[in-house]
Amino acid sequence: MAALSDFRLLRPASAADAVRLRGEHPASRFLAGGTDLLPNMRRGLVTAEAIIDLGGVAELAELRVVDAALHVGAGVTLATLAADPVVQARLPALAQAAASVAGPTHRTAATLGGNLCLDTRCMYYNQSEPWRHAIQNCMKIAGDTCRVATKSDRCWAAFSGDVAPALLALDAEVQVLGPQGSRRLSLADFYRDDGMAWLSLAADELLVSVRIPLTDGWVSAYEKLQVRGAIDFPLTGVAVALRREGDLIGDLRVACTGVSSRPELIGGLESLAGKPFDDAALALVEKQIKRGTQPMETTVINVSYRRRVTPVLAKRLLRRLWQAAA
Amino acid sequence: MKSILRLSVNGKPREDAVADNALLIDYLRDTLRLTGTKQGCDGGECGACTVLVDGQPRLSCCTLAHSVAGRDIETIEGLSHTGNLSRLQRAFHEHLGSQCGFCTPGMIMAAEALLRRNPHPDLPQIKAALAGNLCRCTGYVKIIESVEAASRTEELAA
Amino acid sequence: MNAPERNIVTLKPASEPRGVGARLPFVDGVEKVTGTARYTADLPADGALFGKILRSPYAHAELLEVDTREALALPGVRAVITGDECDMPYGVIPIAQNEFPLARDRVRYIGDPIVAVAAVDEATADAALALVRLRVRELPAYFNAAAARKLDAVLLHDNKPGNIERAVHNEFGDTAAGFAAADLVREDNYECAEVHHAMMEPNAALAAWDAERGHLTLWSVTQVPYYVHLTLARCLKMEAAHIRVIKPFIGGGFGHRTESLNFEVICGLLARAARGTVRLLQSREETFLAHRGRPESHIRMKLGMTRDGRLTACEAEVVQRGGAYGGYGLVTILYSGALLNGLYDIPAVKYDGYRVYSNTPACGAMRGHGTVNIRFAFESLLDSMGAELGLDAIEVRRRNLLVAPTDTINGLKVLSYGLPDCLDWVEAASGWQARKGKLGRIGHIGRGLGMACSHFVSGSAKPVHWSGEPHAVIILKLDFDASVTILTGASDIGQGSSTIITQVVAEVLGIDYSRIRLVANDSAITPKDNGSYSSRVTFMVGNAAADAAANLRRLLVKAAAKRLDVREHEVDWLGEAAAVLGDPERQISFADAVEEALVATGTLTVKGTFTCPPEFQGGKQRGGAVGSTMGFSYAAQAVEVSVDLELGKVTVEKVWAAVDCGFAINPMSVEGQVQGAVWMGMGQALSEETVYENGHHMAANMLDYRVPTIVESPDIEVHIVESIDPNGPFGAKEASEGPLSGFMSALAAAVEDATGQRFRTLPITPVRVFEALNKKPRAAKSPVASAQGAA
Repeated sequence: MAALSDFRLLRPASAADAVRLRGEHPASRFLAGGTDLLPNMRRGLVTAEAIIDLGGVAELAELRVVDAALHVGAGVTLATLAADPVVQARLPALAQAAASVAGPTHRTAATLGGNLCLDTRCMYYNQSEPWRHAIQNCMKIAGDTCRVATKSDRCWAAFSGDVAPALLALDAEVQVLGPQGSRRLSLADFYRDDGMAWLSLAADELLVSVRIPLTDGWVSAYEKLQVRGAIDFPLTGVAVALRREGDLIGDLRVACTGVSSRPELIGGLESLAGKPFDDAALALVEKQIKRGTQPMETTVINVSYRRRVTPVLAKRLLRRLWQAAA
Repeated sequence: MKSILRLSVNGKPREDAVADNALLIDYLRDTLRLTGTKQGCDGGECGACTVLVDGQPRLSCCTLAHSVAGRDIETIEGLSHTGNLSRLQRAFHEHLGSQCGFCTPGMIMAAEALLRRNPHPDLPQIKAALAGNLCRCTGYVKIIESVEAASRTEELAA
Repeated sequence: MNAPERNIVTLKPASEPRGVGARLPFVDGVEKVTGTARYTADLPADGALFGKILRSPYAHAELLEVDTREALALPGVRAVITGDECDMPYGVIPIAQNEFPLARDRVRYIGDPIVAVAAVDEATADAALALVRLRVRELPAYFNAAAARKLDAVLLHDNKPGNIERAVHNEFGDTAAGFAAADLVREDNYECAEVHHAMMEPNAALAAWDAERGHLTLWSVTQVPYYVHLTLARCLKMEAAHIRVIKPFIGGGFGHRTESLNFEVICGLLARAARGTVRLLQSREETFLAHRGRPESHIRMKLGMTRDGRLTACEAEVVQRGGAYGGYGLVTILYSGALLNGLYDIPAVKYDGYRVYSNTPACGAMRGHGTVNIRFAFESLLDSMGAELGLDAIEVRRRNLLVAPTDTINGLKVLSYGLPDCLDWVEAASGWQARKGKLGRIGHIGRGLGMACSHFVSGSAKPVHWSGEPHAVIILKLDFDASVTILTGASDIGQGSSTIITQVVAEVLGIDYSRIRLVANDSAITPKDNGSYSSRVTFMVGNAAADAAANLRRLLVKAAAKRLDVREHEVDWLGEAAAVLGDPERQISFADAVEEALVATGTLTVKGTFTCPPEFQGGKQRGGAVGSTMGFSYAAQAVEVSVDLELGKVTVEKVWAAVDCGFAINPMSVEGQVQGAVWMGMGQALSEETVYENGHHMAANMLDYRVPTIVESPDIEVHIVESIDPNGPFGAKEASEGPLSGFMSALAAAVEDATGQRFRTLPITPVRVFEALNKKPRAAKSPVASAQGAA
């Protein structure tokens, strides 16, 4: 129950102020809901001289439909997101993903931005300081070896957010604010396959909002695998978005979480457009998921299992959506 | 460093000098001596520290005290403000929803948030609302019965 | 203080009657639901120093040097202590004391305490520990029993060759003859992962050293304040009279706290060294490292059976990975063998048990102590053999029932036996005959039903510390205000023992329970009690309470006779009043009777005791005393599951559990205990597992140690069977441990019903189920393709 390191708490009123403060305090961190950052700080995984609390930034709490797209501020809580009528009706994968994060008491605080920027997780990393000291740490914090793959020169910590795969499947893009102004990028480009630097976000940049297209004809769903019915991070999670054209596949997007250092938008599925929904299509999805993900021994739950059930989840969702879209 | 924190706790306005890095749970337990709110894990895993912030259930061990400046905080100690047990407290007592009692304050606060927004929840709704609160004694059966019993009762008037 | 002023109305009991048999809410329940209950970490401790422990990062090493000079020199540090502070080993079993509060010469697991510091605040304590320098020589470390037993293995404890803490070999009856007489002999191996209590309250202690007098007061989370008291006296080399131990509210225990734990002793040592008050709060991780849970067990089980399903012999070998120190281990390995008996009629039982030291946190007592894993093996094999003979699971058990009263082959007495009624209820309630094997499969979901039986002791008839004292003592104080104060050393750890004792006293005296207060667990005030373990409190302390109340009632009847001017046998004792028999108009109130009783003597204190008679303390045969008790609880349960055949996930849909607890002093509490026990069994069966990698605890938190949430927890319907034990208080026996150990095999049977696969390894995780279902080509066919509807 270690106390938090000593820091100064800053509470900006605008996103611009937040970015400015981040620039002024190099050893600072943004704080949103706190459900990821604060437990990590208690374990000594994060230390900061200043914490920039985004709770007072009103613009981050916006949630509205503009030009056939849903704009969600990074500070919108997962509870709000999961309960939003537009999200529930038009973007079920997002509603399901938001509702599946941890427990209800987390979701009233945890935010969209926090879940998208969730620190990558590993059983050698998410431990107390004495615990980590006993293994001489790992490369993600103060060590030089990845304990998951000791010969590897990279960190394999797993991205374990539930919302990112849903948003990848829904083709979302994010808006980022930095000292030079704001920029937009696709959510896929927001992530990097590196357990230590999994976001393509500069230190002084802030994730401001997410834009999700509301396109007719799409159905979507998210499902995670967890041992318990709540609290657990996904052992693997799959989001699927599908557009059906009669008896043929119109478009298909699949994304996974918990099985790589970033949420993975599964590639190589473009060829399914215009094809029938048959065993061959499902086999391709399975093949591409296996090719596109690489679960490692980052949790106590066996890798081979996580690897083998990920396509099972995907195919189950696809069958369900195919029926629903009929 | 410390700065002045203004908020409301159990209906009473407060003004305290609180360290910037103080967690809400430590402010409640150490400064206000409201020790009904429990620490059951090393952060965010058990729900024993659940309190209400503007009526929403929140994990006080994952919340900075200053982050809830200006908000209304309710703890287990605030529920029996009329001098009588609240309906949930009474139901947990009379239906044995509480054995060792350590998860009870957090469990009741999570249930309180549920009943305020949904006075007559069904079983899946009760389970969904208490999914972040672990209990090791009851197997949850009598916790569910307690919430159901409370949902059939009117809150005593103040 | 921000707590609002409170004037809580006194609650009426949920239903009449007010004594035994009532569904009385817990007498300390109001404090729990209002947050006013003070647990150890909640105790006011203004100015207390902050205690912290430096633990070993090595699994096994010689301590060459522990340099604390820099730490001691740090401003704000009040004490730094090492193994030098205490050279007296401790342990709950007097003949197996080999643990030091702070390691001396050697560390034996990652987490073994080495240095403790008391400082003005947490940051200073942390900084001090960071300044400690260790020099060690690492030793080979062993993380499973097989490795530790290898011929060339370094010994963890020099006096235990082969790292065998205890080997047990006994045979009751003639197993060779039994197997020879059998028509079917089968043998199988079973593996059970190590599990932990994970009670909700993390460990904590508060110690106040009175420097002027040289006295120590310790508040701790213990289930056994008396053993903690003895351990403090031993380790601090103090007069026991100079120590006071107080148990506040306790957030569960389940066996974790049935022996003195290192942090309690360290807290006392720190307070003395710092000459002040020290609060030592343990993190959840440290609480996991104190462990004392159920050991990883390998079980070889062999049974012989006649064609008609009668058991002829049982042979079992159990190997337990015990961890680094003795603790309760000796009892665990003995109980595993002894409690093969007492549930069914088995003519011959041979048992070989091995408790092995390893470089992992010490195991100990956990709910269902010793019996749980071997019961999983036994019941599982019983199912399989019954099936081979075409016998239904319930039927094969019915053919092996005991008939009470009886003595088992190892000399255990069975005087009450409600198992047949338990079986009948479970069979009917679960719709067993109509549904077993017929639940079928819908899509990728298979469904199944399974059942099993189990039992447990109502307190060990032979106490751990033999002092010649009674097994239990209760004191009642009666004073001018006509209130009765119960003084008890029995530890209410959430199981409701204070309520049970109150109900017994209320029943015998016939008075309203609102007149009764209960004061527990302050060694300066309350009588010694051995503590809350082996389900002894209801039976033993309950009997002592009944005895005390009867003694007090005699005095009150005598006083009433005097006041009413009649002879004692003419008094009609009504509890809240006393009347003349046959003349109810001549009546005095309870207060009048009390007033009379105090004349010339003043405040009355009355004692009651209970002692298990020698004939219940086990047979004369070697090993016969183990598991001896005055009454066994019995339980049968049926479990219904659904299995996601594609993902391997097992969900428990419903449990029907019947328990013979003799008599339910508080039926609501019995239900709660049975539900909690069955559910804890579910955790072990499905998701809980301590995992070590090279001695590092990989699940020392509530995320990776997966205690079930409310979401996947089923309804558990409880039926109480009252066999009225001749020796229990009002016929009562234990209720809270027995129902646990049947769950695992009932679940395994249900999963077999759903999938065709029998799992012999716990926990039955999605990984294990998935792998089993995908191993053979037969199982690899797509269940989805098998279409809708029941197969």
